[in-house]
Amino acid sequence: MEVEDLNCFPQHLTMKLILDGRAKKVSHKGNLASLLKKLGVRREEVVVKVNGRLAPDTAEPEEKDTIEVITVIFGG
Amino acid sequence: MMRCSKCGEESIIFLHYVRKHLCARHFIGMFEKRFRSTVREFGMLKKGDRVALGLSGGKDSTVLLHCLHDLQKDLPFELVAITIDEGIAGYRAATRKIAEKEADRLGIEHHVVSFKKDLGKTLDIILKTDQSRACSYCGVLRRGLLNRKARELGADKLAIGHNLDDIAQTVLMNIIRGEPSRSRRLLEPLITNEAFIPRIRPLLRTPEKEVAIFAMARDIKIDHRECPYAESALRQDVRRHLNELEEVHPGTKFKILSSFLKMENQSRNSKTQDAELETCFSCGEPCSGKRCKFCEMTSCI
Repeated sequence: MEVEDLNCFPQHLTMKLILDGRAKKVSHKGNLASLLKKLGVRREEVVVKVNGRLAPDTAEPEEKDTIEVITVIFGG
Repeated sequence: MMRCSKCGEESIIFLHYVRKHLCARHFIGMFEKRFRSTVREFGMLKKGDRVALGLSGGKDSTVLLHCLHDLQKDLPFELVAITIDEGIAGYRAATRKIAEKEADRLGIEHHVVSFKKDLGKTLDIILKTDQSRACSYCGVLRRGLLNRKARELGADKLAIGHNLDDIAQTVLMNIIRGEPSRSRRLLEPLITNEAFIPRIRPLLRTPEKEVAIFAMARDIKIDHRECPYAESALRQDVRRHLNELEEVHPGTKFKILSSFLKMENQSRNSKTQDAELETCFSCGEPCSGKRCKFCEMTSCI
């Protein structure tokens, strides 16, 4: 296998995740929709901010971004 | 960074059901346009109406307060807000405060009706021994008090913050329960009874998630607290399944609403007169049977 081939594998990026106020580090490569899926969060029930700004779930976060996931749909 | 499909500015939302990115400006514009066209198409408001808004201080009613207030600039009507304080410790005080603050900020007449003052007990006390029917009790009593207060204030319409998700869930739940005709209540301006203030739902075409994003995009303060009383198991299940379906098949909620409206239209065309309500023999309030649910419940608490 040539060295360049290794670059074909997706490289995971490290980001800060704040899920309903609880912060942790995550490794992810892909868009926000796939991150939510990985976290087991339903896309329809949350709003996502990247570095404090509202972001569509099609956006691809970058290394060291802060991703805030806020649940906005629940009972009551 | 994703770009707005209309202007190329930074996108804040991707609308999966139309496959479009929108920036804050275009999203707010689309949201307000849809709100106004819903009001117009359903004939919800007319010049000179006195509208009472059920303002819980949650995101839906707070956003509706702002939308109705904005609409007043183009359509002259009166707007008053009513907050029902059920007496839920650790929950209602915060949203009540938001309701008071937002109504005050916009200069809208605001009234608070409390379970404690009007029924003699808070919801927490009523549910002390049995929480299994929390939402039924709360819903019936809250709707009853809202209707009474709206009537007392001389309102022609009672606006409530039900959104597309609420409507789609209710339609499905009524089908699952084998009571599809109960969904007719979602189009209440058709029902005639002097004591019953017709309810309007100007957000019925607005997905719940978009209500939250609109509030954030317009810097409207909203509270992300969850009511401590769990909703009925059926609604929770329907909500979860609907949101999963929406993810895989975007537009599902809109299609449920439009199917319901089509069916309603067909059934209305085959009827010669509007639905009528009975009058409760106990309190004189409008109801669907001989005695209203409000009296049934208050006699037990």
